[in-house]
Amino acid sequence: MERNRLQRVLRASWPRLVAIGLLVGIWQLLVVVGVQSGGALGAGEPLPGPGDAIAEIGYLIHIGVLVPALLQTLERAAIGYALALAMGTVIGLAVVRIPVLRAGVGSLLAGLQSLPSVVWVPFAVLFLGDFAVYFVVIMGAFPSIAMGLMSSYDNVPPLTFSLARSMGARGPGYYRHFIFSATLPGYVAGMKQAWAFSWRSLMAAELIIGSTASTGLGQILDNGRTLGDLPEMFAALLAILIVGIAVNDLLFAPLERGLLRRRGLVPA
Amino acid sequence: MNVALAPRPSVVLRDADEAFVTLDGVTKVFGKGKASMTALENVSLELRKGEFVCILGTSGCGKSTLLSLVAGLDKVTSGTIEIADGRPAVMFQEPALLPWLTVRRNVELPMRLHKVDTEERNKTVNRLLSMVGLIDFADHRPHQLSGGMRQRCALARALAQDSELLLMDEPFAALDALTRDQLHDDLNRIWQETGKTIIFVTHNVREAVRLGDRVVLMTPRPGRVARIWDVDIARPRELDSFEVSGLAHEITAQLRAGAAGNGAQ
Repeated sequence: MERNRLQRVLRASWPRLVAIGLLVGIWQLLVVVGVQSGGALGAGEPLPGPGDAIAEIGYLIHIGVLVPALLQTLERAAIGYALALAMGTVIGLAVVRIPVLRAGVGSLLAGLQSLPSVVWVPFAVLFLGDFAVYFVVIMGAFPSIAMGLMSSYDNVPPLTFSLARSMGARGPGYYRHFIFSATLPGYVAGMKQAWAFSWRSLMAAELIIGSTASTGLGQILDNGRTLGDLPEMFAALLAILIVGIAVNDLLFAPLERGLLRRRGLVPA
Repeated sequence: MNVALAPRPSVVLRDADEAFVTLDGVTKVFGKGKASMTALENVSLELRKGEFVCILGTSGCGKSTLLSLVAGLDKVTSGTIEIADGRPAVMFQEPALLPWLTVRRNVELPMRLHKVDTEERNKTVNRLLSMVGLIDFADHRPHQLSGGMRQRCALARALAQDSELLLMDEPFAALDALTRDQLHDDLNRIWQETGKTIIFVTHNVREAVRLGDRVVLMTPRPGRVARIWDVDIARPRELDSFEVSGLAHEITAQLRAGAAGNGAQ
């Protein structure tokens, strides 16, 4: 039984394992070939290999730097994401329910979504101080939520709304049983995309804003660059990558998959 | 009233029963000016309580438009529609089940929306699911059901709305012949059990004759009442019985003549 389970997990995850193996292989190859840094700081240092980066992660954990930084970053991500979720939901709902807003705000949202949120950093720092990081995350993530809600609403069969009217659905019941339920798949897809955007925005903000009081993953990376500590840089990079993937794979992907399966949109 | 085809339709009820649904001079025009299209012109009709009326016509005769007007999903251009009791329940050609809800949850939705308490809701849902033969599928989701079962579920949901008037817009048109035949039997039985008043729109002549107390034939562009037949055939009726076939032939002939002579007033 246990063995079968292991086999099943292996069968499901081997493409991913191969892809990771390939990536690590290429990385190791670059190390073997002898790639060196050529910038001003720490020029001529050899590229650290995957093993070096993992060892450095262990070291950073050991000296008590990595875990507090990780928690700090995750806290920022959670708060920023929650605010973006609230704002995106309110704006998305307003836009689908109020025709005038749709014409005006709809296209603006698409534009905002394509704007790299890192461009907000200089303004945020000038005007918002400590709140700057959150602002950048919100600007990066909320358009995806609102757009997800909008496009999902547009894809609801008109018959569903006729049905709601013929049943006399109104007020909170109408929102709960029809609007929210019908747009949920697109909303969750938007949430998933918004996570990618918010994680990206947060890293950009941490890298640029750099010297705020408390240290996050982005600052470790920036710190490594400043000191010419290549293993530290790669350790930070690896940690950022792992967190981004883990949150997606452990939180958003199962949420979306479960939702689609219950609705019969993917095979069980 | 300007009706192309004689004899004059028996629009007004013969006996003293009070009308349950009254359509008086209902006209519906879509669009404005040159681009306007008259979907319905001066349609008058009265329904008794508990009556099963089939509206029959080719596509484009405005029969679905008529139904959505009665359902209150659209507004008349002129004329009046009066319903003695509340909001009618509607069943569409597509089941329109909510895919995120189980069969049970779909059926109880109208009651949830109108805040019926849990105990009564469960009782009613169980009764309705038994009635349409879906009690063993209560916890399935729509995508796990066959086409016929989905329409049974939609029927149970329409019944759950607890409206005296049930509007059905070609509900069995997308089903295969065997399934449709079975659903005809079931609908006939359920109608007799519940005493609902039903307006049933179809383009299928035999279906109309099999199910209706009256068959209202409509002519297209603009949609008008051409003729009304009282169907005095004992129930339950067989689709291929002599009587049903005979009346269906007569109506089909009239339908053809109407289509050929349409516009020649």
